[in-house]
Amino acid sequence: MKTMLGKRAVSSLISLFVLIVMVFFLSRLTGDPAALYLPVDASEEMRQNFREIHGLNDPVIVQFGRYIGDLVQLDFGESLRKARPAIDVVLEAFVWTLWLALITMALVSVAAIVVGSIAAFNVGRPFDRVASVLSLIGASAPDFWIAIVGIVVFSVSYGLLPTSGTGTVWHWILPIAVLFIRPFGLILQIVRGSMINALGSPYVKTARAKGVKNRPVIFVHTLRNAMLPVITVIGDQAAALLNGAVVVETIFGFPGVGKLMIDSILQRDFNVILAAIMVTAIAIFLMNILIDIAYALLDPRIRT
Amino acid sequence: MKHSMLWAGALLATTALSPAYAQDSAVTIVLGEEPDLVEPCMATRSNIGRIVLGNISETLTELDVRGDEGLKPRLAESWELVNDNTWRFKLREGVTFSDGSTFDAADVKHSFDRAKSDQITCEISRYYEGIEITPSVVDEHTIDFTTEPAQPILPLLLSLLTIVPSETAIEFTREPVGTGPYVMSNWAPGQSITLERRDDYWGEAPAVSTANYVFRADPSVRAAMVQAGEADIAPSISAIDATTDMDASYPNSETTYLRIDHSVAPLDDKRVREALNIGIDREAFVGTILADGTQVATALNVPTTLGWNADTEARPYDPERAKALLEEAKADGVPVDTEILLVGRTGNFPGATETYEAIQSMLSEVGFNIRLQMVEVAEHEQYYSKPYVQDQPVLVGAQHDNSRGDPVFSMYFKYHSEGRQSGIADVKADDLITRATAATGDERVALWSELFGYLHDEVIADALLFHMVGHARVGNDVEFTPTIATNSQLQLSEIGLK
Repeated sequence: MKTMLGKRAVSSLISLFVLIVMVFFLSRLTGDPAALYLPVDASEEMRQNFREIHGLNDPVIVQFGRYIGDLVQLDFGESLRKARPAIDVVLEAFVWTLWLALITMALVSVAAIVVGSIAAFNVGRPFDRVASVLSLIGASAPDFWIAIVGIVVFSVSYGLLPTSGTGTVWHWILPIAVLFIRPFGLILQIVRGSMINALGSPYVKTARAKGVKNRPVIFVHTLRNAMLPVITVIGDQAAALLNGAVVVETIFGFPGVGKLMIDSILQRDFNVILAAIMVTAIAIFLMNILIDIAYALLDPRIRT
Repeated sequence: MKHSMLWAGALLATTALSPAYAQDSAVTIVLGEEPDLVEPCMATRSNIGRIVLGNISETLTELDVRGDEGLKPRLAESWELVNDNTWRFKLREGVTFSDGSTFDAADVKHSFDRAKSDQITCEISRYYEGIEITPSVVDEHTIDFTTEPAQPILPLLLSLLTIVPSETAIEFTREPVGTGPYVMSNWAPGQSITLERRDDYWGEAPAVSTANYVFRADPSVRAAMVQAGEADIAPSISAIDATTDMDASYPNSETTYLRIDHSVAPLDDKRVREALNIGIDREAFVGTILADGTQVATALNVPTTLGWNADTEARPYDPERAKALLEEAKADGVPVDTEILLVGRTGNFPGATETYEAIQSMLSEVGFNIRLQMVEVAEHEQYYSKPYVQDQPVLVGAQHDNSRGDPVFSMYFKYHSEGRQSGIADVKADDLITRATAATGDERVALWSELFGYLHDEVIADALLFHMVGHARVGNDVEFTPTIATNSQLQLSEIGLK
């Protein structure tokens, strides 16, 4: 297990470095931040001065060396636009995203596993049919549409929930509900499929032949074996959420890292882009390690 | 007995408290974009100006956008021209900053020097470029501004200079200090900014005691927030949502136009430019793709601008004549079949893509060979500003905003042969711009007016399209009328409570 984790850590560090190099140079290919930072009628002198202040006049390779040098000392640089350390801006936003992702994925996982298992146990019966159709609709509906309809119905028409923003527990309900729908539909389908397979497998038949009851059959024998593909998909979906739920953040005015990343790319705020990518990459790397551990716990063959 | 006395006491207390309660009034304003900084010297950037200008920071002079008083005193009580190159400002006494320090001439000088400093890039300094301006303190409440060359509209230019205390460091601040009626009490990045009314403000106390700014990128969410009672004012919502009696439209001072680069054939031919102009049915857009109230433009500046020429008339839509003009030009060897690139900016205004698509189709109908390309802001800038793309004739669809009352903020930049976004190089236009910039009073009005007429009627400098309107939603508990300046500033003192 330790060797496995060690290998994973090394390969992740290499990926992270490659990522930094790529993002550093690619983001600079998008052009000059001075062109966007200053109004169109600003003079060339003003632009020149801006580049000078922010060290954008140096050759890119010099800028890169300086960046790596600072990074080693854990200095991610200043945001070009916000006049404060890029890492502060990113961590502030990332905490919101992290909570949003954690809560959503916890709810999705529990709900999808329970509903998916019940559906698998009742294949072809009304419960299964309804669950399948609803999950398909959920997985295919565009989230910006669900979000707007949610606001119109629950906030404007009935006044039950706040339209958007942060502040109370109520503010979290609509964003989480919107984020919930798609991964729920997807994971439910995987759980159902995987459970149906497992339920038809020889060890379940054996267990049943021995007279084991339904409940232990599902929760002891089947679920554990059926979980491997489900965990992979949960990991994928969680990674997507950690990258930021741009649409939900934009519509609900949720100050997460997704919108921050998009904004900083559009504004060419290089240090924020890099810091945001690094923070999310590290989070996803840590999450992958958790998934590996979960795998190993579920399947002894992986532990070696 | 005891009880009734208690009741009486409670009643008295309530009565005594109620006027204070009436004044304790908070409003929530929902904006589309959170500012990166709340920095006074960046207040000409609209997302910063809407929060800072006139609320946290004040200026020496102020343009009256609600009435017709023109330039009004604010931190300056009066100003006069001492000689051709020197303006003298008498400053208001008894004014304090929100940090408790007293406002004087040294603060004005520091504010100017800070804005012009090359250690930071203050956006307001672009209005002082190309002129040498030297502020010098005469006494505590008098300051001179000496300019080279003479600057007749210096008092107007100073309506953009936000005043900070002389102790303000020359680096961007996130904790602005100003003389305005409000002070920033809280900023939760990504969530909200709160301004509190100051008790020691020199002027009349505004009705609103607390303003809470929140930020939502989606216009329909902004509209929904006012409808649900979560916000009081949404200064910018989309036309599609503006259907309730809480909604009002207002000219937002943006003018949409197609900038023509006159140096590349066939756009160097005046007949071709005229055909471009009469080949677009502007009226057809109003109330369809664009909101009701949108005006057909005859100048880059809005009608409330100094010297705006009422005699210029929009060229009526005439596709037959447009075809004839193109034929005529073709007969003279003008390459009218050349593909012309029409560049539009995605999301520049609601319905931008549809507008440019319709223009492309109208122009194709009269015989132009137009290719439309919608681009992002950064790419748009590459077409919009010099050096221009030279290998192909290009029309750049763009918007220009000048709510500052004088064409000087537009003309050099958009029409002088040296202007960074000018499509023309015309000796007479250059001369008019130079003279109008230096002129005062009626002469200034006449020269700008002549320039507007000349550009539209004789040069056919560009294809002017529309003066745009914006839509605001105002909740039932407050009174607020948006103006042409609402895009760039929103003074809380102009909000009334019902």
